[in-house]
Amino acid sequence: MKRKLISLLRIIRSGGNNFIRNAWLSIAATAVMMVALTIILSAVVLNVTARNAVKELSKKIKVTVYLKDDVSEPRRTIIMSRLKAEQGVDDVAYVDRREAERRFKTNVSDGDKVFIEQALALTGNTTLPESLEVSLTDLSKSGAVVKVAKEDGYKDAVDDVSVGKNDVAKETIERATSAQKYIVRGSIFAAVLFAAVSVLIIFNTIRMAIFTRGEEIRIMKLIGATPNYIRGPFLVESCMYGIIAGILANVSVYTAILSLGPKLQNQAEFAQSYNFFTSTGMMFLLLFASVFLGIIVGIVSSLLAMHKHLKLKHW
Amino acid sequence: MILLDRVSKSYNKKGIALERISLHVEPKEFVIIVGTSGAGKSTLLKLLTREEKPTSGKIIVGGIDYERLKDKDIPYLRRKIGVVFQDFKLLPGKTVFENVAFALEIVGLSNKEIRHTVPKVLDLVGLKGKADNYPGELSGGERQRVAIARAVVRQPKILIADEPTGNLDPKHAWDVIRVLEKINHYGTTVLLTTHNQEIVNKLKRRVITITDGHIVSDKSGGSYK
Ligand SMILES: Nc1ncnc2c1ncn2[C@@H]1O[C@H](COP(=O)(O)OP(=O)(O)O)[C@@H](O)[C@H]1O
Ligand SMILES: [Mg+2]
Repeated sequence: MKRKLISLLRIIRSGGNNFIRNAWLSIAATAVMMVALTIILSAVVLNVTARNAVKELSKKIKVTVYLKDDVSEPRRTIIMSRLKAEQGVDDVAYVDRREAERRFKTNVSDGDKVFIEQALALTGNTTLPESLEVSLTDLSKSGAVVKVAKEDGYKDAVDDVSVGKNDVAKETIERATSAQKYIVRGSIFAAVLFAAVSVLIIFNTIRMAIFTRGEEIRIMKLIGATPNYIRGPFLVESCMYGIIAGILANVSVYTAILSLGPKLQNQAEFAQSYNFFTSTGMMFLLLFASVFLGIIVGIVSSLLAMHKHLKLKHW
Repeated sequence: MILLDRVSKSYNKKGIALERISLHVEPKEFVIIVGTSGAGKSTLLKLLTREEKPTSGKIIVGGIDYERLKDKDIPYLRRKIGVVFQDFKLLPGKTVFENVAFALEIVGLSNKEIRHTVPKVLDLVGLKGKADNYPGELSGGERQRVAIARAVVRQPKILIADEPTGNLDPKHAWDVIRVLEKINHYGTTVLLTTHNQEIVNKLKRRVITITDGHIVSDKSGGSYK
């Protein structure tokens, strides 16, 4: 037991020496891995942020269900609960005539007022209709909501259905949604590229370390060192790359979040994401995940290098 | 201690390095193996350290039957057998002390145990004052004694020395041989291969002569024929 512990400490020390001996290669390996991990981390952060922003903005998009005159209250309530039960619906609000009038007066420009009043006159109406405003959490569900409202069973009460088309929010959402797609695709590509480069560099670094210690390894075999005692230092070395790169990637991503975040925080669509990522638990989780990922990449590359260049099978 | 029963070894289809070698070595014996270059001396020793596997035949060393030996047991086997080579195989970047300590580090001895053990062994091989020197600062004879110190620091039952004097002038060669005799005197079985006729004749030990992979003579108190 004591022997094993001493051996483990020696392996770790020897791994550290390897790291220092090939300092430039070690730094290069760590730096590239850090870039790869930073890309992956940023992709996760941007993706979650974009998704949250889309969700938040979707609430601003509303499907308006115009009601015929004189729909009874119980009938209206039934339609409201039916719409509420639909997936992706955040809330359903009833807008009566007075509220419609008030909005008309405050929100619509004078030029439009004349146009709308003329239009109303043409259709034989004197007042604005009552309506149900359906707010959504998921924009893609608006079609389904429209379909429900237009069902034959509601024909007695529903006059017309419209989706807010000229809303600025909708355009923003569409942009955010497509940006999110590009973020995911682009970052997968970049992360794979940099991960491959870091595997190559680590592979090469470990290969160099095996060569510089070639004579030592041959002697170790002859005087009875176990294969794990010989392999250990190289694994330790590559784990060090992973740990350092993981920590640095986290530091850089959080530096960005913490410096950009407060500027965006009072915008509702970013506030939630900012709070999500800056919670202590999440910070530790991401740190743990990136260090873990770094260690995995390091171990895989050094195992490949050892498999190829450290002939421990032939004693 | 060492038993070989009709052991043959061929590296490839063309030639046979050793053919049907049978040999028995008692504990604490000092055995010299002689033979021309290419006779098969090193091959014989490599079979004992499991650097090579026999093509056929039985090898039992210190009660261990090599047929039953698994790859993962080989490091532990090698911890019981000390080895010394013609080219010393020391690490140039480590001091004399560190080179010897290396053999103890790999088996997990504490630094305290190492500091306690290494000076004693350096004293045994007559290098007490050289602990902090690097191999490059030593003569060939001294380097070989460092290698011997490394080989015996774990007190193996068997010491194998493959032409340890091959690169040395006669004076230094004798220094090395005296150390081997001393180690044998303390109870370690020694297997030594050499070309040096004078050493063989003066030592008056058991001499095994190998020619073309065959044992052609095996005499105690023998001489170089
Ligand atoms: N690794 C090897 N591969 C192929 N042939 C070898 C190998 N090692 C030794 N031999 C051959 O085996 C024979 C015995 O070699 P060796 O045991 O080294 O002789 P010695 O040590 O007596 O000079 C020689 O013919 C040599 O060429
Ligand atoms: Mg030889």
